[in-house]
Formats: sequence, structure tokens, C-alpha cells
Amino acid sequence: MHNESDQCFHCSLPVPAEVRVTAEVDGDQRHFCCHGCKAVCETIYAAGLEGFYRRTAEGTQLAPPPEPPKDLALYDIDEVQAEFVDSLGEQRDIHLLVEGIHCAACIWLIEHSLYAMPGVVEARANLTARRLHLKWDNSVIKLSAILQRLGEIGYAALPYDPETAEGSLNRSNRQLLYRMAFAGFAMMNLLWISIALYSGADRGEFRTMFHWVGFALATPTLLYSGWPFFKGAWSGLRHFYFGMDLPIAIGASITYLYSLYVTLTGDPAGEVYYDTVVNFLFVILVGRYLEAISKRQAVASTQRLLDLQPRVATVMRNAEEHIVPIRTVKIDDEVLIRPGERIPVDGVVIQGNSSVDEAMLSGESKPLGKRAGDRLSAGTINIQGVLHVRVESLLKDTALGRIIRLVEEAQASKAPIQCIADRIVPWFVAATLGVATATFFLWLQTDFDKALMAATAVLIITCPCAFGLATPMAIAVASGQGARHGILVRNGEVLERFSAIDHIVFDKTGTLTKGTMSVTAIHMLKSEWRTGEEMPEGIKQLLSRVAAVERYSEHPLALAIQKAAASLRLELEQGSFINRPGLGVGGVVSGQQIYAGTETWMMRNGVESAPFLQDIAAQFDRQGASSLRIAVDGREVALIAVEDPLREDAQALITRLKNDGIRVTLLSGDRQKTAEAIAQRLGGGMDVIAEVLPEEKDQVIAQLQSVGELVAMVGDGVNDAPALVRADVGIALGSGTDVSIASADIVLMSNELEKVALASALSRRTLRTIRQNIGISIAYNIIMVPLAVAALVTPLVAAISMPISSLLVIGNAARIRTLFRNY
Amino acid sequence: MEVIYGLIPFMIILGLGAVGLLFWAARNGQFDDMEGEAHRILMDEDLAPEIKEQPEKEEEKKAS
Repeated sequence: MHNESDQCFHCSLPVPAEVRVTAEVDGDQRHFCCHGCKAVCETIYAAGLEGFYRRTAEGTQLAPPPEPPKDLALYDIDEVQAEFVDSLGEQRDIHLLVEGIHCAACIWLIEHSLYAMPGVVEARANLTARRLHLKWDNSVIKLSAILQRLGEIGYAALPYDPETAEGSLNRSNRQLLYRMAFAGFAMMNLLWISIALYSGADRGEFRTMFHWVGFALATPTLLYSGWPFFKGAWSGLRHFYFGMDLPIAIGASITYLYSLYVTLTGDPAGEVYYDTVVNFLFVILVGRYLEAISKRQAVASTQRLLDLQPRVATVMRNAEEHIVPIRTVKIDDEVLIRPGERIPVDGVVIQGNSSVDEAMLSGESKPLGKRAGDRLSAGTINIQGVLHVRVESLLKDTALGRIIRLVEEAQASKAPIQCIADRIVPWFVAATLGVATATFFLWLQTDFDKALMAATAVLIITCPCAFGLATPMAIAVASGQGARHGILVRNGEVLERFSAIDHIVFDKTGTLTKGTMSVTAIHMLKSEWRTGEEMPEGIKQLLSRVAAVERYSEHPLALAIQKAAASLRLELEQGSFINRPGLGVGGVVSGQQIYAGTETWMMRNGVESAPFLQDIAAQFDRQGASSLRIAVDGREVALIAVEDPLREDAQALITRLKNDGIRVTLLSGDRQKTAEAIAQRLGGGMDVIAEVLPEEKDQVIAQLQSVGELVAMVGDGVNDAPALVRADVGIALGSGTDVSIASADIVLMSNELEKVALASALSRRTLRTIRQNIGISIAYNIIMVPLAVAALVTPLVAAISMPISSLLVIGNAARIRTLFRNY
Repeated sequence: MEVIYGLIPFMIILGLGAVGLLFWAARNGQFDDMEGEAHRILMDEDLAPEIKEQPEKEEEKKAS
């Protein structure tokens, strides 16, 4: 596969051919995939913690370090810290959410490098939850210094409040664990009492005592462990909806009441089923708990740092700067925004000049110029200059706040889908009750006691043990396995819904493409270069000169060229410049007159055109790439193609989905021609909906749905969020914005687009397993119900046959993991 | 066989004690990180190959 030099020394990802980041580490020359990895590796060695690499398990792939959070200094402000720490004394105690923890070695590295800092009292990292519990002495060290240190060794960490973040979810999971544990305890004790009864004690002097012991164990179990089912059944009844909880509650309480009746009357022919009640509750609670854990896992892993950034703003009061929490900012305050900062409020610029990246809101990757009088939106990023802004609206009233509210409303109004089990259960309940009543009247002609026993046996034996586990087990296995492979599923119904999808809509920018403009090809008369190849010397020289001329231009094409030159570490020479926005730039570099820009710009400067470039330019145009003409000393010599490149796995994915018979649509705000060119390059055969305004995206989805199609949407931006919620299944990329992740049903953590196909396969497999499981439980009932009607079911038969049906269902669900063997 | 009248309550109390212990452990955060603690104990200062290699590399550097 890869030899050493092709892999990043730090994270073992393959090193792209055009990137050459090398450094001398411990006497050896090492290659890195990016500067982030190099910096982290050098810091680790400088701190003498290189044992980290030895502790990393063989074959573990680290990821390049996440971008460290900005403006750490603001976490030292007491007002900001007050939200996260218990007391503002000398020694403080905080919980951090850490991005970038992969394995046990990371925990070692974090703890060791923090303990080496004076003032750190305790640092304890949690591998499963990717959290860090930190105690430090505020008089010795500042929190920002600790966060800074974590950033240097490759972890992005920010404080969070465990109560608000996951408190309620954790508490309810813990409740479920308690209930399950209690049922488990009662089950184990009842089991040996049952064994005594089966082996003959039901005839002897201890019979009554064993019955009462069973009663003593089963009663608290039914009341405490069974509580959630009674609650669910009751609320279902009030809304005339027969859910899964109803048959569970009926089965458990009828079985219990019958046993109680036998215990009280001491009827020598009667049998007690206390062990069945408790077994049944325990098994169902295990299923519920597994389901809850997988749900919590999805919530925890989608929680992102940006979410937690405390909202602060720099407010100008009496010509002095104050950093204050955003809650205390008022309308008409003057807020100062430095370059690189996220804009905290909606407002009007009153002073200053800058360009602002609004990609988050509009999906437009090109920064917009802003000067006095222009409007700014919260959530967008100030790129260059300092801006003074008069606040117009805050928090919920900002444009970003409105989108978030739109998303929340849409989520609330989304009808819950009815899963297969839910559709079957009401019929199942009705049938069970019907058969039990029929059995009762059938036997009533012979004997009342026998009639009661047979009717109860029907209810017990059909008690939906296997039914109750059929769906949760399959979903727990599927979402657990999915999470291990980078597919986070918000809840189980999504898998069922996804398997029925017949149309997938992809957002173009940032989803099918990488979302950043970059140089993908350079053509000269004698040589040419395409992305992924080693760049010839001649082209490198030309690129460095063009980059020198483009240095002061803000145009996206210019930025792409500067980035290409920077990644090759080309030296830029000095020279003179002219810039005509919309046309191009020109300048003199090392004595050569260079022009870069459009065809018009070339003609205007009297450049002699090169015919061979015409065809290539036309070809780029067909591909949907922008091209930039380059002239040196009055003659056109080269053509540079700049585009938002497709993700490597996009084409394979589209082909696969089409083969699976799924309709694929490309949704884009671009010109129709560009979008069609992209679709063509992805292999064609897909619908293209272009020139869509960001706020119209969810309307497009609604239109497709109105034809009766089940639509999934894949996207990453804030502007995709309403569409993600509107779609039957919303899929967000892990690198996407927080709002889009919060609105999605499925999140692909690794950004591998291919995982869309895997998720689709997983959902179909899960649905198949659910159907098989329901099949198994129906088959079980078909065999057992006639026995019960014939009054042939003894407690022993029930005790043996019911666990077997549950085990079959569990075993069948576990087979879902075989799906991942091929990946 | 009368001993069973004492054994059963004793067993149930013992079992309840175990359940109580589990509740305490869960509340105390003992099950919060099921993976990390298992590894932590294996990652101590005394990593044999590191200690062996370290002086060798320093000698190399001095030699060169």
C-alpha cells in the first residue's frame, strides 16, 4: 500500500503529491500531510512526550488536528467563566469538551502534558465521551494558557456545562439503568425459586412460602422497573394510540394478577408466573437501554465546539473597549469587530472597511466588501479590517437566529413516521385479546379455573417479548455499528425511512465539491499540470510570478492562486502592480511584464493571443471551471483553471446510487450551465436544479415531495438546514456548520461522501432484519398460541420458550454487523 | 429445612446490597468511561523500548 514517506508521520494519512511538508524530527527527515500535523508533532517531541507515538496502537489512524478555537483570552474573563465553573475562587473546576481524541494514547498525551504545567491540579480525560475534567489554580495559571497548550498538541478544547449539554439525557439513561439493574436482580433470585418449584417444591410444604417470596420480588419489580411501560401505555390510551408499551403493560400485569390470584387462593391446580413477569420486563428493559445508549452516543458525538463558544462581544462605552457577554449587549450599542472574528450581532457598519465571509448564511464562498452603511449578519466572519457596528438586533432576532428557529419549528412539525412494529402492534394487541377471550369462553363450558388459566396462558405466551426486542435490538446494533464506521444516526426511525428513499438531492457547494476555490490545472505551450501531479519547474516559476502579481487582489481566483503558491512554498518576488476589478491584474516581476485576467483584459493590453489556448479555454468552460489567461511580455503563454474541485469519491457514489435505482438530483445556486457541467463530470444521468436562492432550497424539496417521492437531502451549510429538516431524511457532513448538523437525521463524521451509500445499505439491511425479527416472533406465536389455547402451557414451557424467542431475535440482529465486512 | 426461612431473607438482603452498590457506582460516574480506564492502567511511565532507545539516540547525535 503506502510506504513510509507517502504517509503523514503524525496522523498516517496519505500525503498528497503536491504538498511537501517536511521537518527534521529526532534526527530523521519526516513527511507530513499538513502544517498542522507538523506543528503538533514538533511540540510533542519538544515536550519530551514522543512516547505518544509508541503508545498509539498499531494501525490506529489519527486525524489531522482540528483547528484550535480562537480568542482564548476571553475565557479568562470571570463573567464568561462563571457559566462553567462552580466557584470563582483560587482553585477552579471545569469540564472541557475536547475535539481530536482518538485513542487511549491521546488520553496519556493530554494528561501528561497538562500535569507538566505548574498550576494544573487535576486533569482527567474521558475517552468514550471525549471530555476532560480539569482543576487548576487560577492564581498560578490562566485557563487560556491551558487551552492554548491543548491546541499546540493537537486538541481543540472548550469549556461546556455538563448540566445543560446533556444533563437530562444522562439522567433519564441512568434511571433506565437502575430499573434494568433492579429487574436483573429480581430475575436472578426468582430463577432459583422457579427451579425449586419446577423440581417438585410446588407439591411440598414450602409451596406457599415460595409463592409469597415470588410475590415479594415481583411486586416491586413490576411497579419500579415496569413503570415506564405503564406510563407509556396510559399516555398512548389517552391519545387513542396503541403503542408497543400497551401489550407489554397488559402482558405483564395480567400475568402478575393471575399469579397473585393463585397465591391468594392457594389453588392447588394453579401455577404462578412471577418469573415470567420479571424475565420479560428485564429483557425488554435491556432492549430499551441499548436503544437509549445509541441515541446518547449520537448526541454526544455531534456536539461541537462552535456550539459552545460563549457569545461575547467587544462593546465601545465611553471610547473604551469592554468585552461583555452577548446577553448584556443592547440595541444601538456600538460593537467593535476585529479581523477574523465571528460577527456577534446583526447591525449596520458605522465605521471601517472590510470584507465579510457570508458563506455560512448564503453558501456564497466569495467574500463581500463592507463599508459604512452596509448591513452585517450575525454568524458571518469578518476577514480583514476593523469594523464598528451599531447593533440592530440580537440573538433570536438575528438572521441566524431566525434560521435556527425555522429549523426548530420544522423539526417540531415533522410528523413522526409509523414504524413497522407500530403498525403491527395494534392488530397484535387486538388479536391477542380476542384469542384470550375466545379461549376463556371455550373452556368456560368445562371449568372456570381451567378457563381462567388457559386465557392467561394465551396472554402470557403471546406477550410481545420478541416483538418488543425486534425493532430496538436491530436499531441498537445498526446505530452502534454505524457510529463505529462514522455514520451517526439520530434515531431509529430514520433508518427505516431511509431504506424507502427513492430520490437523493445533493447540495453542490461543499458537499459534492470541496467548497473552496483552488487551482486545478495549468496549461502552457509545452507543458501542462493537473491537480495531483508533480508540478514541472517551468510552471512553478510562472505560478510564483502570477501569484506575486495577484498578491494584493481580493478576487476569489486570486486567492486560489495565492493559496496554490503558498502550499508549494514558492518565494514571491516583489514588483509593481495594477488592479482592474472584474478584468484582471498586471505588474512587473523580475523585469517581466505580466498580465493575468479575462480575454478582454488581454485585448485591452494589446496582448498577442495564443490560438492553442482557445480550445483549452472552451474545454474548461464546458467543465464548469473558471479560467484565467496569463500573458508574459505581451504574449499569451498560459491558462490557469480555477474551480471548486469535486470530492474524490463523489463520482463513485453517484454511480452507485444510480445503479441502486435511486434518482439523484444536484441542487445548486450556481448558473444552470455550470451546474450541468458538474453533473456531466459526475457521469451525467442526474437531474440538475440550478439558480436556486438559498432560502428556496427547502421549497425545492417540498415540491419533490408533493409528487409523492421520498426525498433525502445531503448538505453542509446553514442555508441547507431548512432543506435538511424538510427532507424525509437529512444527511449532514461532519465538517458542516453546527446548524446543519443539528438539523440532520444522519451525520457523516469523516466527510467521506461514500458513506451515503453505506448508510443507505445499512438502512436497508436494518429494515430487512426488523422484518425477519417480526417474522420470527410471529412464527413463535403461531406455534405457541394453539398450545396455550389447548391449555397445555405450563410455567416451565413458558419459562423455556420465551427466552428462546428473545435469543433468536437478538442473535439475528447481531448479524447486521456482517454488512461492514465488505467495507 | 427450616433454615430456608432465614436463608431467603438473607439472600434477598445480600442481593439488594449488590443493587445498591451498583446504583452508587453509576451515580458516582464509575461507568462514564468504559474504554479509557482500561487503557490508562497500561500506560505508565516505564515504557521499556523508549528508555532503551533514548540513550542510544543521544549517543548517535554526539558521535555525529
